[in-house]
Parts: sequence; structure tokens; C-alpha cells
Amino acid sequence: MRKAIWSFLLLYATLQACRTPFDPEVSSEQTSFLVVEGYLDSDGKRSEIKMSRSAPLNVETPFVVESGASLTLTSASGESYGLQESEPGTYVFEADIPEGQTYTLEILLRSGERYQSDAMKPILTPDIIDAGYLQDEEGVEVFVTTQGDENADDFLWTYDETWIYRPRIRVPYIYDASIGDVRDRTEAEQIALCFKSEVSSDILLETSSRFEEQVVFRQTITEIPRGDERIMERYSILVSQKAIEEEAVKFWEILKKNTEDIGSIFSPLPSLIAGNIKSLDDGGIPVVGQVSMGVVRQKRLYINLVDVAPWNYLDPEFNDCIIEADSVLARFYDPIFVSGAVLPARPYIPPGGTVILGYFPTSRRCADCTLYASPITPDFWEDD
Amino acid sequence: MRKHLRFFPTLFFMLFAQVAFSQQADRITGFFPGISFLRFVELVEGETSYRFYLKELDVKDLTVNLQAKEDKLEDVLTVIFDKTDLKFSISNQKEVFISKGEKLVVKFAPDYFLQNTASSSSLVQDEFVRNRRYTLGTPGPGTEATLSGVITSLENQKPIEGAIVYERESQRQTLTNREGRYEITLPKGDQTLLIQNIGGYTEQRLLNIQGDAALDITIGEGIFSLSEVIVRSGALTNVSRPEMGVQSLSVQQLRKLPAVMGEVDIIRGILTMPGVNTAGEASVGFNVRGGAADQNLILLDQNTLYNPSHLFGFFSAVNSDMVQGVELYKAGIPVSYGGRLSSVLQVTPKAGRQDKIGGSGGIGPMTSRLSLDGPIGKNTTFVVGTRLTYSDWLLDYLEERADLGASRAQFGDFNASIQHQLGEKDKIRASGYFSKDKFQFDPDTVYSYSNLNYALTWTHYFNDDLEADFSAGQDKYDFEVQGEDNPLNSYLYGFDITQTFLKALFRHEKGDRHIFTYGFHGIHYDLNPGKIDPLGAESIVIPDEVPREKGLEASLFLGDEFEVNEKLTLSGGIRLNWFGYFGPQTLPEYAPGEPFLPENIIGETNYGDGELVKSYLGPEMRLSGRYALNNWSSIKAGVNTMRQSIHLLSNSSVITPTDTWKLSDTFIQPQTGIQYALGYFRNLENNAIEFSAELYYRTMNNLLDYRSGATLVLNDRIEQDVLVTKGKAYGVELYLKKVTGKLNGSFAYTYSRSLMLTDPTERKEQVNRSEWYPSNFDQPHTANLVLNYELSRRVNTTLAGKYSTGRPVTLPVAKFEYGGSERVYFADRNSFRIPDYFRLDLSVNLEGNHKVNKVAHGSWSFGVYNILGRDNAYSVYYIPEEGKLNGYQLSIFAEPIPFVSYNFRF
Repeated sequence: MRKAIWSFLLLYATLQACRTPFDPEVSSEQTSFLVVEGYLDSDGKRSEIKMSRSAPLNVETPFVVESGASLTLTSASGESYGLQESEPGTYVFEADIPEGQTYTLEILLRSGERYQSDAMKPILTPDIIDAGYLQDEEGVEVFVTTQGDENADDFLWTYDETWIYRPRIRVPYIYDASIGDVRDRTEAEQIALCFKSEVSSDILLETSSRFEEQVVFRQTITEIPRGDERIMERYSILVSQKAIEEEAVKFWEILKKNTEDIGSIFSPLPSLIAGNIKSLDDGGIPVVGQVSMGVVRQKRLYINLVDVAPWNYLDPEFNDCIIEADSVLARFYDPIFVSGAVLPARPYIPPGGTVILGYFPTSRRCADCTLYASPITPDFWEDD
Repeated sequence: MRKHLRFFPTLFFMLFAQVAFSQQADRITGFFPGISFLRFVELVEGETSYRFYLKELDVKDLTVNLQAKEDKLEDVLTVIFDKTDLKFSISNQKEVFISKGEKLVVKFAPDYFLQNTASSSSLVQDEFVRNRRYTLGTPGPGTEATLSGVITSLENQKPIEGAIVYERESQRQTLTNREGRYEITLPKGDQTLLIQNIGGYTEQRLLNIQGDAALDITIGEGIFSLSEVIVRSGALTNVSRPEMGVQSLSVQQLRKLPAVMGEVDIIRGILTMPGVNTAGEASVGFNVRGGAADQNLILLDQNTLYNPSHLFGFFSAVNSDMVQGVELYKAGIPVSYGGRLSSVLQVTPKAGRQDKIGGSGGIGPMTSRLSLDGPIGKNTTFVVGTRLTYSDWLLDYLEERADLGASRAQFGDFNASIQHQLGEKDKIRASGYFSKDKFQFDPDTVYSYSNLNYALTWTHYFNDDLEADFSAGQDKYDFEVQGEDNPLNSYLYGFDITQTFLKALFRHEKGDRHIFTYGFHGIHYDLNPGKIDPLGAESIVIPDEVPREKGLEASLFLGDEFEVNEKLTLSGGIRLNWFGYFGPQTLPEYAPGEPFLPENIIGETNYGDGELVKSYLGPEMRLSGRYALNNWSSIKAGVNTMRQSIHLLSNSSVITPTDTWKLSDTFIQPQTGIQYALGYFRNLENNAIEFSAELYYRTMNNLLDYRSGATLVLNDRIEQDVLVTKGKAYGVELYLKKVTGKLNGSFAYTYSRSLMLTDPTERKEQVNRSEWYPSNFDQPHTANLVLNYELSRRVNTTLAGKYSTGRPVTLPVAKFEYGGSERVYFADRNSFRIPDYFRLDLSVNLEGNHKVNKVAHGSWSFGVYNILGRDNAYSVYYIPEEGKLNGYQLSIFAEPIPFVSYNFRF
């Protein structure tokens, strides 16, 4: 038993170890620096640069955007193209520019600080040959296939997802206080069809020269596990493919590493990140940002529930949602439905009768998808 | 005032059963381990007819530390009073008078009144005869006279052959012949004649030589074996040895240090020395004078240990019971060693004893060990030892009681060696070492590694001046990770290294002033840098393998230790090192002048099996000198250059087994370094205190550091991620050591810096804008204290303390939004430091009694590691928690950890 105690002490020491908070002092210059993100499309498609400031690790306020700056793209032959600030911190570029030469991006901040990118050469991204999905008992895997060439070897994929979100109970009726009665909802009042969207933060990189004839075959973009909310009815994914230069690959790889691979007892040393933007005033001022140029190739894909059924989506959050068995008679409409917390779900027509005497109610959280998503159909959305 | 002392030290006598006196001859035999002189007097009076007369005050601080066997009291007292101003006289009635300064005249030799007799004067051995002046011969012409006579033994009255007879001033000397006869011509006048029997004492006669005369002298042959002498010779070595930057530790010294979990640990012992540091508490990888951990050559006898640790560094891989001592060369590395940039740690294994079979062992909370050694027949001795953990059994037992997850750890090691004496001139030794570790932190990932080493050494003595060691052997290290997180991704990753060596080392003494060392050292490397395979039928892991690497290293060396004169000793040499990188190999060709990057590849070259791909040839120079200022202090200086052709790829600050090795090839050049060192060495208080101060400055080239985001595992084009890096390190080391007394110990302070710089010509990346930045193990201030207090022969306590500046780390300092997510920004490489390190350990060793006829001698060792319970940071890290990134420091031993272990030998 004595040995057991000693051993336990050792194990406690070695395997459980002990951690205490660590909070070193850091200068403000190191914690608030310029961050530049963007991809400039050389084909005239609208593209944007976002600028913001970094923040100390322990603050919880949103990041401050860098507004009021002037950004100019200058070609090696001397042409300049300005960027317009569309919303604070977001600068739009929309110009069809010659791809045969190099460009530098010049940034002048409101404070007078000046930054400049290294020379960039637009890369003509090859088309996405195929985008599709595979399914098995685990779920659905979305993929793209493409082929690199001598100019475009490294690829970065990003994707935006959008899907239909339905409430557990669909309510086509609405209590209209102005008429003191329940009526059908108009198109604008519908609460049974919503859309959710998400911009992915995954960093997907691949080098085509690793493969035969530079064909990147069925590169996984995302995986949707079976039963996931995203394919409750119809799902859409927009895959963007950008060919980037090797320096940018390193930048994104480091970015990925610094986010994911820290904290274990045998962690490798972290990597320092910079990018291709430099301060013109003082080389020692940190700045993070890798701006690339070229053409973005995109492909949109739809997946319907019927294509992958049985999907078995069920959100247990709404398992208590029912339509009440006791109807609300007409004279009680006003006190019960006026607040909006209880909705008229189904009409009550007594057996043999033809007149609606009242409505079976349900609670709003079971029926109103606008509580969780947007009722507005996105512009690009196509129904089948 | 004189006091007549009479005691009957029966109690004392029981403790030291070996003490015995020969009554008849009144000779003295016994072991007197640092007892007071008064005690000594009691013992002598109790057992002999001698009676002492002395002033107690005169001998108050005098201790007796010697072993005597049938020795005369005069000889014993001469040794005891050496370096004191005490004098003694013994009368014919065996009265011993001790006085300070002046010697008392208490008796007169029978020939005292026979001065000026030209005939023989047979002088009886007596203390008195040494210090009175005899007049010999009758005055005559000439300035010189010849003395002749016979030297006989006091013990058996036989003539002594080979005794040296010399005169102090003129340095004239002669040897006695077979009949003990000598003849020496000396200037007339007052002379001091010294007669030395090899291994015995020097007798002296003060003479006034008037003319030719005969002088027969009887001298004692008694040989003392003094425990003090061993220590003193070590102490003097510190001052007198020509090399500098050498630290020695015997296993006895190691045992006194507080042990983690009761395990005596050689590397923890080394870490108490100045200039040696470790980046992490639980790390057996150590840094010497600002060098990386892979720049240390760790030799167990002739074998290289690639991983000197168990359990990721909690214990040294070498069983301390199998070790005689360790020697660490920080500078002044002998020419016979090479291949690493920073240091050589030579672990000398224990040799089997010759009298009987015995053994030792220990039982601790984590491990048990047992070793056996002794003779087999007349000419052969053996040593075997093993150490095993039983933590797994305990883990099973504990799992029901504590939530330990699925952690598992087990390790073991095994040593064996056999030595055989082939006739008078040849000796053969075969030795082997095997260690194995296996552990897991979570149920799905199992780490394991093993060392396997064996060697055969043949020592041949050509003649008295020339001896040689020929050895051959193999060193293997392999590492494996088995990941079974899910069946689809199950994998087996591993790397291994096999090195086969051949070494010939000659040691040639030429005259009195030169010791030449020369020889050859060849190493063949066969390295598998990394390999991953799917594990199980379902696994979809794609097999990948970095091509095997083969290399051959051959070195020729010649060194000389030259004693220019008594004051100046020079030691130097040259080691010519050739390294070849061999096929089969396929290497890319990069555009000339362009950095090694994928876009600059213009072709590919295939090399056949055994084809030389690339070779490097370079000399390593060693030079150091010692100038003795006097008997107790010296100045030493040295410069040495080193080369290293095998590199550890490590992106982490401490050695972890996942770090793989790489040979120099077309792109990765051998690391080179030069070190300049200057030192002052001084012994104080009659060699009881040793002090040294050493300064050093080193520069290093072709070090490996890596660009941001580099992946080192399974990277077959590592040159694309390696940055050409220079290093420099400098520092001062102060060391104070008290070797004797009840309170002994050492204090070491080191100021050192270790810096790196991305070569300005490097075009891949410039770490920290190509400014000097601290290396991962740059810890400017380090102090080590070891205090030993011997309460009694059986109880000894040790307090050990360690302080060092926190090591540099690269920290996240800010966050920003990028690519749709929050990201982390790291500050400049190594621009922050973890908190300073401080720890105190205490241990108590309890020895069993020393009865000769006991079956086994046992000792208990218990103590507390980190007695202050300070939570020293091992590392700092950040993890996201509820959308916020929080920093933590991880401490391995954050609380006082008590331990107890029982050790025995038989």
C-alpha cells in the first residue's frame, strides 16, 4: 500500500502535471497591428480587401476595423487602380486588368502609416472540372476536382454554405389584430421557410504537382455527418477555388498551424506569421496579411434531402413541440394570440361542421423559423 | 600544562571492528576515518604501551584520517603531523612527547657521542636520527667525497634493492643494487641525504661530510594506504591536469545527491556542475555551454547512447549501480573523442570485482534494480545488472481507486559485461546494454523506444610505454508510435538508427615528458529518418517513407600531452575527420545560387548503392595548456574546434523521442564550432577547498533552425525548411567545492548566453529580421548548490538547490481575424521567457552498520524533491476556452514529492 501511494504521487506529478495561469506583459505595439486580408480579381469581378486591427489575447470586444484608408493597386508599368470603401474596413476592387504584369498594393492609413505589398502576379486559376458529393452511412462528402498547370500549382479553397431551415410546425395563419381575426399569412409574413448561411473558416490547401498530371481528384471540401441540420431539406454550397503562389501557401499553412496546433506538452515551436505586406515607415512594425491576385473560380452545388434520404434529422430541442389539443375559440383570439407568443396553427372545424370555430394553438418557438434564420430567400437560390 | 591522557575506548572500538593493534611490536593497524587526534591517542594508548604527553590545545583541531597496517607509530605520526607545526619525540620508554614548533630532545642515540669517527656509523631508525646532523669522514683534499653503504629493511633486516639515494641540493642520485649497496659522490659540507624506498617513506639524514665515509642506513618499508590521498590526488588533478572544462563525478558523489523517486541519476548529477543546464525539468537532454542537446556525445564505455533517458526524460537510461563514474568534457575534449560540437559525457561502467561474487540492488517506488558482479575462474570477471518498473501493475491496481485515465508507462534496462585476462599483456572485454520504454498518455497512442548497444574491446600492452585498445561494436536506437485513434487512421510511425563502429586507440609514453595518443575511429551510419505505415486492415493511411540514409565517418587522430617543465604542460592534437554520404539516394538539383526551394529544382540525380554522394573533410584542432603558478594554483587556456555530421531535427526546445536524426548530405553541411576558454584553478585550505573560474567563447556554424511552419516529421526534403544559422555562446563559470570535513559540498554559478542568427545570405526566411536571438536554451544565470552534512558515519543529509533564468519561449501576444476565424499572432522567436526556475531538494541517507560479517549492507534513502513546492514552469501554452485564448504554465513537479528507497549490497 505504501508503494501504491508513492506511485500515485509520481503519476500525479508526471501524468496529470499541474497548470496555473500565465499572463506575461506584452507591449501594445505588439498587440494592435494592421491585418490585411483579400484576394484581388483581375477579371473585373467584384472583389474586396478587408482591413482590421489585432487585439490583445484577453479582450472580448469585437475587432476594430481600419476605416478611412486609401488603397491603390499599381502595376509595374505605372497604371493605378483605386479601391473604394464600401463599408467600414472593406475596400472594393472592380477592374479588368492585364494579367501579364506585376502589381503592388499601396495602403495609406488615416493615421498616416504607410504600407505596401510585395510585387504580386495575377494567377489565372484553372476551372473547377467537377464538383459533387459522395454519400455513405457516415454522411455526405462534398468534393471538387481540378487540374493545375505550370502557373497554377497550389490551390486554396473556401466555401459558403446556405440551407433551408424549417420550423418543426408550419403555421400558415396569422392573427391580425386590425381585423380581430385569424387570416392566411402573406408571402412576406411567412415564417415556415428560412435560410441559414455560414462562411467557412476552414483553410483547405493542396498542391497539384503532388499528383499525376497535376489532377487534384475529388479534393474534400467539407463533410456533413448524417442527420445534420444542413440537409433538412435543401442545401447549397458555393466552392471558391483560387490558385495562389507558394509564399501564400506558407502563409496559410502557418495560419492554420498557429490556430490548431498549440497547447500540448510536446508541441513544436510555433511559427511566426507575416505575409506580403510590409510597413514603409518602420520595418519592425508587425503587420499580418497575404494579399493575392488572380481569378476566382466558383461552383455552386445543391443537395436535396431526397437525394440522401434517409437522413434522419431531428433536433431534440423541439421534441416538446405539439399542437395543443384544446382549441382557442374565436372570442379568445385577442387575449391569447395578440402577444405573438402563441400562434394559431390548425383550424378547428367541429365534426360535420363547415365553419371554423377556433384554432388549435402552438407556441412560437416551435413554428417561427425567423427566430433562428433569415426568411429572405437569397438572390442566387434556385429551387429544383 | 601537560595532561596525561588515559582512556579505554571500548565503545568506539565496537564501531570499528577492523581496528587492531599488534601488541608485541607495538605496531599500529587500523582504520581511522577522520577521528579526532585525542581519540586516536586513546586508541593507541589502549592497545599499545605508548603513552602520550601533549597540550590538548595544540591538537584540538587535528583529525586523523588514515589506514595503517603494522605500521610504526613514528611513521603514522609523521603523516598525521604533515603540514602542521607539531613535532613529536619518542623516548626509549615509549613516552611520546608532542610539542609545537620546537622538537623536544628526549633521548640520544648510542652513537651520539661518537662523532668524527671515520668508520661506519650504523644508524638505527629513529625519529631523532633524521634531524640531527652527523659528521662523516675525516677532512682531506678535494671538494667532494664518496659515501657508500648498505640500505637494509627495518622490518626484516634484508637489503633493499632499488632504493633511491639522493641529495636534496645537488640533486645527485643513485640506486641501490641487489645487495642494497649504494655509492654516491657528494660535495663536502652540510648535505641532506634522502633515501626513498619506492612505495615507502623517504628517510633523511643531515650530514656534515668531511671526507669519504661509509654509511649504512636502515629504513622502514611500511606502506600506508590513506583514504585522504585519493581525494587529494583528485584535488590536485583539478589544478594540475592540462585539460580544462572537465567535470568528474564518482558514483559515491552521485549517491549523495537527492534523488527523484529514490533513483540515483547520473545526468541529474551532471546538472549540478557549472556550465551544464537543461531546458526542461523532466528532460534528460542537457545543454553544455550554450550548445544544443544533440551536440553532446554520450558514451557508455565505448557505445553511443542516442537516447539517454527513460520515460521521456524522468530518469537516466543508465542504471547507476552499473556505473563507476562519469566525466564530462566541456572544453579540452581529448582527440580520441569527436563527432559532437559541445561536449562528451563519458560514463565509465563498473568493473567486476575479483575477490568474490557480490551484488547490489535497490527497491524504490517506481523501479527495482539488481546487479551482480564477481570473478568466474581466475582470469575472468563479470558484471550484470537490470532495472525494471512495476508501475503497470500498480496502475492496474490504482485504476479502480483513482481516475488515472489510461496512462501506462513501463521501462527496463539491462547491462552486462565480461572481462577476461589473456595472459599478462592482453585483456578482452565484451559488454552490452539494452533498454526499452513503452508508454501512453491516452488509450490510443503508444510510444515506445529502445537502445541496443554492444561492443568488444581488446586491450594489449605492447610494453611498459605502449598500450592499445581495439574496439568494435554497434549502437542501435529505434522509436515507434502506434496510433489507433480510429481504425481508418491507425498508423505505425517510426524511425531508427544503427551505427557500427571500429576504434583503435594507442597510448604511448615517450620518456617522462610526452604521452602520445593516436588512433583511428570509423563509424558507419544506417539511418531510417522516418516511416509511416497503416495499421490494421481497415486503415487508409498511405504508407510513406523518407529514404534511408547511409554515411561513413572516419577520423584519424594524434594527440600529445607534453610536460614542458614542472610548471608548464601542453596538450594538443589534431583529429582529421572525413564524412561521406552514400547512395542509394535520389537528390534534387537546385538551380545554382538559388535557395533550396521546390521552385528552384532543375533536375534530379540518382546515386547507386554504395555510391559516394558527397563528402566533407576537415580537421579538428585541440590545444590547451596549463601553467602552474605554484603547488596550489594554475592558469589554463585552450582552444578547440569540433565537427558534427549527424543532426537532430528538433523544432522543440527539449529532446523528445519524436525528433528524428539526419545525416549531413549535399545540402546540410556538417556543423562546425570553435571554443576558446581560459581558466584559473586554485586549491585552498590544504586542498580541502577547490575553486575554479572559467571563461569561454564559442562560435558555431551550420546550425539547424527552421523556417516558420516547417514540418520535420516525414520531411524528405528537409533542406527546404532548414535555415542556415550561426550560433555564438559565451559565459563565465565559477565553481567552489569543499571536499572534506563534516560539512562539504559545492556551489556553482554560471553566467552564459547562447545566441543564434539566421545567416544574412539565407533567402528562405530571416528569423527575427536576421538579428541575434536567444536559442531555446539560453539561460543567463544558473546557480547550483549542494550541501552535505555528515551527522555521523551512518547518517548523512544533503540539501541541493538549483536556480536558473527561465528559458526563452515564443509566445502568442495578440489575436486577429483572418479567413473567417480568430487567429493567433506570435511575437518574435524566443522573445519571452518562462518564469525563473528555483528548487530545493533534501535527502537523508541512512547507512546500515559496518559489521564485516553481515550478509548484506543496506541503506535507506529518503527525502523530498522540491521541498518548497514551487510550481516551476516546464512550458507555457495557450488554449482556447469559451472563445478566449488563455495562457497557462505547465509544471511537472509542482508539489513537494517525498520519496523513499532501500538500497543494499552484498
